[in-house]
Amino acid sequence: MFSSIKNFISYWYFRYLLVTELYMVEKWERAMFHIILFVLLAIMYVFNTTVTLGLVRMIINSLTSNEDSKRTDYLIDPINVDNSKYDL
Amino acid sequence: MSAAPSLEPSTDYVQTELLNGVNFLNKKVLAAGGDIEFKNFKKLKNGFKNGSCLNGHVLTSANDVNTKELQNGFTLQNDSKKTTDIPKQDHPISKTREIKESFEPPTLLVAALTQISFYILMFLGYLSQALFPPKIVKEKNRDGYPPLYDRFSAFYSRYVYRRVRDCWNYPICSVPGHEVVLKDRVTKDNGWTFEFTGSKTKCLNLASYNYLGFAEASGPCAEAAIASLYKHGISTGGTRQQFGTCELHDELERLTAKFLGVEDAITFGMGFATNALNIPTLLSPGCLVISDEKNHSSLIVGIKLPGATVKVFKHNDVTHLEQLLQEAIYYGQPGQPKGAFKPWKKIVIVVEGIYSMEGTVVRLPEIIALKKKYKAYLYLDEAHSIGAMGKHGKGVVDYFNCDPKDVDILMGTFTKSFGSAGGYIAGTKEFITYLREQSYASRYAWAMSPPLAAQIISVINILMGRDGTNEGQKRIEALARNTRYFRLRLEQMGVIIHGNEDSPVVPILVYLYSKICMMVRTLIKEKIATVGVGYPATPLTQGRIRICLSAGHTKEQLDYALDVIEKVADEIGIKYSRKTRDFTPIEYSKIKIYQDL
Ligand SMILES: Cc1ncc(COP(=O)(O)O)c(C=O)c1O
Repeated sequence: MFSSIKNFISYWYFRYLLVTELYMVEKWERAMFHIILFVLLAIMYVFNTTVTLGLVRMIINSLTSNEDSKRTDYLIDPINVDNSKYDL
Repeated sequence: MSAAPSLEPSTDYVQTELLNGVNFLNKKVLAAGGDIEFKNFKKLKNGFKNGSCLNGHVLTSANDVNTKELQNGFTLQNDSKKTTDIPKQDHPISKTREIKESFEPPTLLVAALTQISFYILMFLGYLSQALFPPKIVKEKNRDGYPPLYDRFSAFYSRYVYRRVRDCWNYPICSVPGHEVVLKDRVTKDNGWTFEFTGSKTKCLNLASYNYLGFAEASGPCAEAAIASLYKHGISTGGTRQQFGTCELHDELERLTAKFLGVEDAITFGMGFATNALNIPTLLSPGCLVISDEKNHSSLIVGIKLPGATVKVFKHNDVTHLEQLLQEAIYYGQPGQPKGAFKPWKKIVIVVEGIYSMEGTVVRLPEIIALKKKYKAYLYLDEAHSIGAMGKHGKGVVDYFNCDPKDVDILMGTFTKSFGSAGGYIAGTKEFITYLREQSYASRYAWAMSPPLAAQIISVINILMGRDGTNEGQKRIEALARNTRYFRLRLEQMGVIIHGNEDSPVVPILVYLYSKICMMVRTLIKEKIATVGVGYPATPLTQGRIRICLSAGHTKEQLDYALDVIEKVADEIGIKYSRKTRDFTPIEYSKIKIYQDL
């Protein structure tokens, strides 16, 4: 059972290496690629959660100009918003 | 030739439908008074009237259009309504060969992945180059000089190709017959250097262009070659024009001409040079060459040398070829003073018989019809097809039952099917005599080595049945059967293969570099030698394994190879084909080969 799972994973890791051409490069290059990929994804995550989300919020705000839509704080923390302020 | 029905001068589309339902573009409008206009080009330019064109040839006349002229075993048929009431032809429509070719494109996903992974590879290559510059000699004290070598190709061979170099350029130490002995080697530094281990591996050879299996170390051909060694030595020590000709050369040329069914032939010691050095004698600036996109580099070198204009048509696309021909004839040479019209000196169509990377077969009957219609010359390179195609092994001309005299320049090499080396050009007596006098290759290149000539002579004798056996015919049929069997089995397997069903070159599309090298390595481990081909020899997204079949392979050998390929294909996932498959088992001995038809 355990070895079959291990086989499955190692086989599909091998297939993954094949389709990304990582099969033919050296080990350190493979590691390097994965590190760089990970760093890139991490940067993208940070970028998305801060800059992109903020931008989206700004755009939504400017498009919908009624009072209610100015309520932007729930985008940040939907639970701890002080709802009483908006008497909902 | 036949009773031409009177076609009223009205607007009628005259379609010549040729083989395989290809509709040509030559829809002409018959204007009143018999003037013919191309539909695509409404206005006639000055100097180009009434369908007259190039070199005083009449492009076409009302008569031509209506004549059901028998060309090369098929009839130009008029499909228009007007012709339905024509009485049946007195010419029997001889059987034409259906061209079955497959060109399954990859799925979008596979194509996209191939592109992306190629960029990964390039990125890692540049990274590696920046961190570990190659330990090679650097140019010093050469400030201001531009680099002598191309930067990119140096990078590509060091940081992309080097990683998989163990799959290519394998040293061998035996005759590359149906089996070949590889010299084992290992690399300890990722392909920078190799060491021989001293051991050898005997592999099934699916890599050589040994189509008829004449690459043998024994047998009548080898004996003839050895006997000629004692008589003539290894070289005649001169060019053909200067004392280098011996009786073997004369005999070889006579025999080649007879074998091909043409008036005369000339032979050279090298196939590449046959193309590269003879095409320049035919062309000059002001000539137009229309060349297939996948032509071999020897043809391209030859075409570029004399400074003629080149236009390239899409691979095997007769419609595009016709369009280019029409444009060439209609517009003539570019860059003329305003209003002037200057036709091309001549137009030469350059094609190959079997394309060695694609496994496709040229659509010869259609091209011959076009060539006749537009009065262009045809240069056919039969490097891979001579011996390997046709009922009698006479190449694609034989395969399609065409008249060899319809092809102006028949070129071929002895390097493949004949198990020798060299090339020939065959054609009319006049033309070959001209080549003998004018060709750079006959003036300046060493004559063919006599043992090579002796080998070719004995092979041609066997193929023509002049040795008193039917060995030649047997081999031709064995090759045809092996080809169909192998291709059918591969199709059942679900891998994508390209090319004509009768072409002994079988490219299996693998797309990715890693898969190419994984497959070649595994196959060598399983004692099968194959060739992988990737960018730049193929387009970027079309890496492939190329398999060349031979008459020397037995069914057992092919079955073994197919089983191994199936296993590998499953393992690395190259069963890309989305065609419906037919799983009825294929019986080797009952396969219908084209010789029977
Ligand atoms: C189409 C074509 N023409 C010419 C040649 C050159 O022939 P050779 O190897 O005899 O120089 C080749 C060889 O690969 C070829 O494929």
